[in-house]
Amino acid sequence: MQGSRAAQFELYKLYAKAMYNVALRILNYEEEAEDVLQEAFLDAFTRIVDFRQETTFGLWLKQIVINKSINYLRKRRMEFVSTDEISEVPDEDSFDYSEMQLQAEEIRQAIIQLPDGYRVVLSLYLLEGYDHEEIAHILKISENTSRTQYMRAKKKLKSILEMKGMRDE
Amino acid sequence: MNNRLETFVKENRKAFDIMEPSADLWAKIEQDLDHKKKKKPVKLYLWMSAAAAVVVVFGLVWLYVGKLQNKDLEIADVSASYAKKEVHFTGLITEKRDSLAIFASANPELYKKFTADLRKLDEDYEKLKAELPTSPNQTFVVKAMVKNREIQLQLLKQQLLIINQVDDYKRVNQI
Repeated sequence: MQGSRAAQFELYKLYAKAMYNVALRILNYEEEAEDVLQEAFLDAFTRIVDFRQETTFGLWLKQIVINKSINYLRKRRMEFVSTDEISEVPDEDSFDYSEMQLQAEEIRQAIIQLPDGYRVVLSLYLLEGYDHEEIAHILKISENTSRTQYMRAKKKLKSILEMKGMRDE
Repeated sequence: MNNRLETFVKENRKAFDIMEPSADLWAKIEQDLDHKKKKKPVKLYLWMSAAAAVVVVFGLVWLYVGKLQNKDLEIADVSASYAKKEVHFTGLITEKRDSLAIFASANPELYKKFTADLRKLDEDYEKLKAELPTSPNQTFVVKAMVKNREIQLQLLKQQLLIINQVDDYKRVNQI
C-alpha cells in the first residue's frame, strides 16, 4: 500500500493545480474549490477500481471535479437559467473580439466577475473544452440554453474588458 | 473572426491555470485516505478474528478428541500379532454368543447364568483396556487382554456344549 500512496501523490502533483483552477472557475471561492479538490481526489483514489481506461485519468478526475463543483453551486441555490433574461438576444458584434487587444490575465480577471450562470457555461465551453451538448448534460439544461448563455456570457465578458480598458487609459 | 476569443484562449490555455491550491491540501487528502483505510481494516480484522476464533475452537475440539482417542489405546498400537489374535477371538466370540442366544430361548435360566459369567469376563477386559495406556508394561496387559478373550471363547464353547447336552436330555425325556 506504500507504493500506491507514492503513486497517489504523483497523480496529485500532476493534476492538483489544473483541477483546482477548474473548480475555482466554477465556484469562485478558494475555500470551496479546495474542499472540492480534496473530495474529488479522495473519491478518485478510493474508486480507482471503477476507473476504466475508456478515458484518461485526467478527464475522469475532471469530470468528478466538475460534478462536485456544480453540486456545491447548487447548494448555494444557483439557478443556471434566469428566466427574466431569456428574451434578451445578443447581437452579432457584441461577441466580436477582433478589435480588442487580448490578454490572458485580463480575461481571467473578467471571467471572475461574471455572474455564476454565465461564468460556469463560459468556463466549461471556453476553458474546459466541453461542447454545448456536454454542458447541457452536465448542467441539466437544454443545449439551446447553453448556447444562448454562452453568447450572453461572451457579450458580458467583452463589456467587462472594455470597461477595464477604459479605466486603464 | 467570430471565434477570436476562443482561439486566443486555446493558444494561451496555460495562462488561465495560474491559481495554486494550499500547500497543506495533500496532507488533508492523505489524512482522509488514512482514515478511510483504517475503517476497512477494522472490518477485515473483525472478520479475521471471527475466523480465527472458529479455527481455535475447532483446533481445541480436535486436540481434545485426539487426546480422548489417545487414551483409547488399542491392542494394535502395542502389538500387531496380539491384535490379530484378539480380532480372531472376538469374531469367534460373537459367533458363539449368537448361537448361544438361539438356544437361550429354550433355557432362559441357564442363559442368564452364562451371560453373568461372560459379563464378569467382559468387565475384566474393559478394566484391562482402561489400564493399557498408563501401564508400564503394555505388552503384559495386552497379553492379559487376549488371554481374557481366549477364556471367554473357551467358556462360550463349554456353555454351548452344556446347552446342547441339556437340550438333548430334554428331548430324550420328552420322548
